[in-house]
Amino acid sequence: MSTSTAPPAELAPVVDAFAAAAAGQRRLVIRGGGSVLDRLPPTDAEVVSTAELTGVIDHRPEDLVVTVRGGTPLQELAALLATHGQECPIEPLAGHGSTVGGRVAAALAGPRQLQAGRVRDWVLRVRMVTGDARVVTAGGVTVKDVTGYDLCRLAAGSWGSLGLLAEITLKLRPIPTQSAWFTTHLPAGRILSTLYRPAAVVSTPTGTFVHLEEHPDDVAAQATVAGLEPAAAPRWPTAARAAVDPARLREVTALAASAGLDHTAFEGVGVCLVDGDADAIATFGDRVVRLGGHLLHLDAGAHGGPARATTTDAMGERVRAALDPHRILLDPRESR
Amino acid sequence: MEPAPMTAPRRDAPHTPAESALLAHLGRALGSEGLRASALSRATYRRDASFLNADPLAIALPATRDELAVVLRACRDHQVPFTPRAAGTGLAGGATPTGVGGVRPLVVSVARMDRLLELDVVNRRAHVEPGMVNARLGRAVAAKGLRFAPDPASQIAATLGGNVATNAGGIHVLTYGVMSQHVLAVELMDTDGEIHLLDGRLPEQTGLDLRGLSVGGEGTLGIVVGAWLRLLPAPPAIGTLLAGFDTLEAAAATVGALVTSDRLPDAVELMDARAIALVEDYAQAGYPTDAAAVLLLEYEGLAAGVSAGVDTAARLAGEHGATEVVRAADADQRARIWKGRKAVAGAIAQQAPDFFLQDVVVPRSRLGEMLDAVVAIGEREGLIILNVVHAGDGNLHPFVLFDRREEGVLDRVFAAGHDIVTTALALDGTVTGEHGVGIEKRDFLSQVYTADDLAVQQAVRRAMEPSGLANPDKVLPTTVGCQEARMVPEGAWV
Ligand SMILES: Cc1cc2nc3c(=O)[nH]c(=O)nc-3n(C[C@H](O)[C@H](O)[C@H](O)COP(=O)(O)OP(=O)(O)OC[C@H]3O[C@@H](n4cnc5c(N)ncnc54)[C@H](O)[C@@H]3O)c2cc1C
Ligand SMILES: Cc1cc2nc3c(=O)[nH]c(=O)nc-3n(C[C@H](O)[C@H](O)[C@H](O)COP(=O)(O)OP(=O)(O)OC[C@H]3O[C@@H](n4cnc5c(N)ncnc54)[C@H](O)[C@@H]3O)c2cc1C
Repeated sequence: MSTSTAPPAELAPVVDAFAAAAAGQRRLVIRGGGSVLDRLPPTDAEVVSTAELTGVIDHRPEDLVVTVRGGTPLQELAALLATHGQECPIEPLAGHGSTVGGRVAAALAGPRQLQAGRVRDWVLRVRMVTGDARVVTAGGVTVKDVTGYDLCRLAAGSWGSLGLLAEITLKLRPIPTQSAWFTTHLPAGRILSTLYRPAAVVSTPTGTFVHLEEHPDDVAAQATVAGLEPAAAPRWPTAARAAVDPARLREVTALAASAGLDHTAFEGVGVCLVDGDADAIATFGDRVVRLGGHLLHLDAGAHGGPARATTTDAMGERVRAALDPHRILLDPRESR
Repeated sequence: MEPAPMTAPRRDAPHTPAESALLAHLGRALGSEGLRASALSRATYRRDASFLNADPLAIALPATRDELAVVLRACRDHQVPFTPRAAGTGLAGGATPTGVGGVRPLVVSVARMDRLLELDVVNRRAHVEPGMVNARLGRAVAAKGLRFAPDPASQIAATLGGNVATNAGGIHVLTYGVMSQHVLAVELMDTDGEIHLLDGRLPEQTGLDLRGLSVGGEGTLGIVVGAWLRLLPAPPAIGTLLAGFDTLEAAAATVGALVTSDRLPDAVELMDARAIALVEDYAQAGYPTDAAAVLLLEYEGLAAGVSAGVDTAARLAGEHGATEVVRAADADQRARIWKGRKAVAGAIAQQAPDFFLQDVVVPRSRLGEMLDAVVAIGEREGLIILNVVHAGDGNLHPFVLFDRREEGVLDRVFAAGHDIVTTALALDGTVTGEHGVGIEKRDFLSQVYTADDLAVQQAVRRAMEPSGLANPDKVLPTTVGCQEARMVPEGAWV
């Protein structure tokens, strides 16, 4: 079985670095492509890079699974999968030099999450070096597996705070037969209730954008039903992103508009991306928190505090300590 | 399942002072409806739908969160372990009240906490209590044009809390995913009676995904007292297809071709000749009785995609030598095709005195090899094994049929079960795809995971549930070995 094989030698430097940090009481931050990390406030933690941990380990097109090293660029993986007509629908729409490990660790929500689900739902198996310098595997290469606790979902969105994701097995699917963006003046709410499971619905101050991924005849029929016009994919602001319960997204969009911020919302997902005056963004962030959401600043120079508000959650802290008892690993959103 | 020697249960053992104090306290707090301790009640709660059974201390049936908090705090104060339980349809012994070191656990049933707390049609989600039966939610949301995707074959009896606790699968996992994908938030109660909202409703989290960790916790991480579940719009079109094959290999090869075709089916179920014969006798679903295997396929979604999918499936089945391909013309025919699949357990119950249901997964491309191996194992042990497979997921459910009055048969049943699991492991598969580890698969975990892997699992468990009282002997292997569980129920087999 693949799961109980000896840890690969290539992980020895990571294991050594983690052990040394624990002994020397130093803090580390894991770096993938840096596409998000470089937009967070700088830290004095020592960087552990995944740049040497790249490449596809095993692609089984007939099983719809792929196993890659954590530092593999997302674009390299997408290109390989595309030659087999397959995809893992968690890639960002535009390449930023980001890695598979960084994608899973940050688990930022893209607009396609509306239909394709969350990053964590595509992760079948992980091998990681935990904060206490153990090489640990969870999950398996089959699409269903309830053997033990679900540490794969725990690793998704852990922001490098539990360990370094060295190998990741992802679930794949065929690339949809047709994929196209449209625009409409109908409000997003109407689109969500009229169309059957659109791939993405994105609203901007200038209109609603709809992404359809279906059989060509169905794409045409849906476009007619909702009066959609073909369009280019929308672009969105990147300075900060609010995450809220999708049920409250409209309130958040209204807040962004009244604060004079440029904004784009991933409908049904609960993300509102904003850009504009730094003070206005900070005020907006406070209001988002009052609505039960939170704001992530992705603009290292623009603000003085940590990239997100710190929360205390005793159970989460205990789980974190279970994997990183010496607290050597930094969640870069918490820095400063 | 390891055919390890088991000690006899301690029936009607005298209560320790702690147990007496606990029972007196709970009797006052819950009344006779909420606490049962008679020999008859205890006999009813000895087992789930697996083989394993053991004598509980008593059964607490709290009706509210407050009553449940009283129960859990009492367990904490008197240091009595407890076994969470819902409908008891679990197949891994997770709800069987085995205990550690001869201590009988209290069964804590959530069956009376079964309300639909909120149905939010606009945002397509439901807030439910754990004891609500899966199919009841399905009916409630269907009236609003919605559906709850997880559909385990046991859905008319199994509860949503049980589905959360086991991360249940079902027939439409291939494209809709397992239970966890449909759980937005979990409310988990600890032994202080405190409720932790493990919230995944936000698209990006500030903290760790403890929601995801708690799903599939099998009662070892606390008690699920509520869950927010994701609902989906009902599909506008559904296409269902039945294909018969001369050989198992041809059916398995068709599955491989379907999985790599340009549109994934939403359901791919396989049944072998023995399963076909049994259900045709019982449910008259219209399956070809001379076939070595049938595939049941379903495509859901928008009309053109569904009909293209069904066309592709019919063509691929034909290319792989299908002897018969039937497309459901209407909802009635579709219901009839699925009736056969859903009737398997009932058909078996009528024909064989006993069955042992396995649950293993292999990569989809190894399905043919695994099916051959199951046939060979059955022949070697002289047992009838029939195969019902969530083929699109590579998830096999071999049913081993037997009559326990036959001398020595259990040894052969366990040997077959054991070999099915080790064969799956050798094919890069795993020991359980949806039924869970419970106690039945627990000792296999050291064959799947390294000592470090298990140490981290144990540390995470302790972090989530520090008291160590929640289903203590389940899921992770212990050094204690087999506790007071018996493989065969005594007395009535229900
Ligand atoms: C402004 C902006 C907006 C974006 N918006 C979206 C979007 O809306 N949707 C979308 O899908 N993508 C989006 N992305 C893409 C995003 O960059 C990547 O998906 C990914 O999250 C970052 O990968 P990285 O390798 O660059 O990670 P890094 O920036 O290097 O690291 C990100 C985090 O992950 C941790 N980490 C990195 N690698 C590992 C590892 N191997 N193991 C453990 N932890 C690790 C780091 O410690 C850090 O906490 C956006 C990127 C930017 C710059
Ligand atoms: C005929 C048949 C067909 C089946 N088909 C399928 C199938 O297709 N897919 C599938 O996945 N399973 C299937 N199962 C197995 C079973 O139905 C599932 O595991 C189901 O999710 C168990 O639900 P339950 O309410 O019966 O839980 P129980 O059996 O009562 O408990 C199951 C586990 O969950 C724990 N638990 C229960 N409630 C709670 C709670 N509120 N909080 C914390 N822990 C709790 C228990 O301690 C135990 O470990 C089938 C079983 C049968 C008998």
